[in-house]
Amino acid sequence: MFEALKEGFIRTFIRDNRYKVFVQGFKNTIIITLTAAVIGILIGIVVSLIHALAQSARNKKRKTPGAMVLNVLDKICAAYVALMRGTPLAIQLMIMTFIIMGGFPNKVIVCCIAFGVNSGAYVSEVIRGGIASVDIGQTEAGRSLGLSELATLRLIVLPQAVKNILPALCNEGIAVLKETSICGLISVVDLTRAGDLIRSRTMSPYFTLITVALIYFILVFGLSKAVGRLERRLAQSDRH
Amino acid sequence: MIDIKGLHKDFGDLKVLKNIDLHIDKGERVVIIGPSGSGKSTLLRCMNLLEVPTAGQVIFEGTDLTDPKTDLDTVRCKMGMVFQQFNLFPHKTILQNMTLAPRYHKLMNEAQANETAMRLLDRIGLADKANVYPSTLSGGQKQRVAIVRALAMGPDVMLFDEPTSALDPEMVGEVLELIKELADDGMTMAIVTHEMGFAREVGTRVLFMDEGTIAAQDEPKAFFENPQNPRLKDFLSKVL
Repeated sequence: MFEALKEGFIRTFIRDNRYKVFVQGFKNTIIITLTAAVIGILIGIVVSLIHALAQSARNKKRKTPGAMVLNVLDKICAAYVALMRGTPLAIQLMIMTFIIMGGFPNKVIVCCIAFGVNSGAYVSEVIRGGIASVDIGQTEAGRSLGLSELATLRLIVLPQAVKNILPALCNEGIAVLKETSICGLISVVDLTRAGDLIRSRTMSPYFTLITVALIYFILVFGLSKAVGRLERRLAQSDRH
Repeated sequence: MIDIKGLHKDFGDLKVLKNIDLHIDKGERVVIIGPSGSGKSTLLRCMNLLEVPTAGQVIFEGTDLTDPKTDLDTVRCKMGMVFQQFNLFPHKTILQNMTLAPRYHKLMNEAQANETAMRLLDRIGLADKANVYPSTLSGGQKQRVAIVRALAMGPDVMLFDEPTSALDPEMVGEVLELIKELADDGMTMAIVTHEMGFAREVGTRVLFMDEGTIAAQDEPKAFFENPQNPRLKDFLSKVL
């Protein structure tokens, strides 16, 4: 029994320096997750900001050129969010690889962009929900004190919305981490693909797949715990 | 000071305000009463355009607020507003709540803003609360801070939207007392309230709103002692 385990370990990790494939895969998974998260957050901020401004312009019922431009942009953003949420990520990844960025040599960058663009849709919903969770009275108080739309958003609403946004944002990051496991579809060697490569060489699925699962689990579980702690921290500042 | 001409406000199919004409002079204290749903809060909120009228004009100190070219933020600096739900900013200390708008509008530098805020807090006996967060204050204290927060801007008129409706009964007195002090100082006010005794004591004119119109108005003594309008009679018989 022990001998068999030892043999499996050596075959999976030691022989031909196979651990290097895992390290390479792990590195790619982390790079893609972090870059996609940053891209997602940037897109999410822009989309939710456009939505917030377009909505308040609609409430004012003033038909200025600016308001109409905002309205069109908001419609485009809504279509983008619907598309990203309404189609499988695997398909989006392939469309990005073979159509939109067809021929682009660095597939890791393609992954970063595909996952980032997808995540942006979810992030925008998270931010939109966070802003909507702040009592409308806060906005009214800000506006009644002569603060502009943007100043009210920046000084009054967003600081309070962050409390709801941050934990959800971290959860979205965790989701991206798990979603990157489909990178193998376009032959990018991420952690999952690395495990699969080794498995096909050693013909012993146990060590590779369970190792890969364990690494994901440790990352996700650790991050989830950190988010939980963050949530409690933010809830505390309510009471002061 | 405030001139309202032919004001209409619809929410969808619901006509909340129907052709309101109202003139408020400097130094007047207009108290607005009426059954719920009669449009009294909407009328008040139209005065600083928190609610955008469907039709009609709101003219404040010679500026037409309904003109799309009007810079509402500047106008609102001269119109303080106090809300039923206080709407203090929970993520800011009491002092920060009070200095935020004056600093934002560069009406004062930091030292002046702090000095003004402390003088006002001292006046309401809450100077020792300057550096705590709103969540630690009682309802009455919150509302008194909300009132002096509006005063810190040096407004020409104060709009009160049911300032005591969200308070525990034992805290109503302290808030009404503060409003009376402002009245004695000659502040122009429009007050929506359900406190009939207060309306009579502090008002120079009382309006009765019913189904989106001003059904009756008079100076307080005649208004309460000798009501002519049958609906007003009915209303007073229920609330007095």
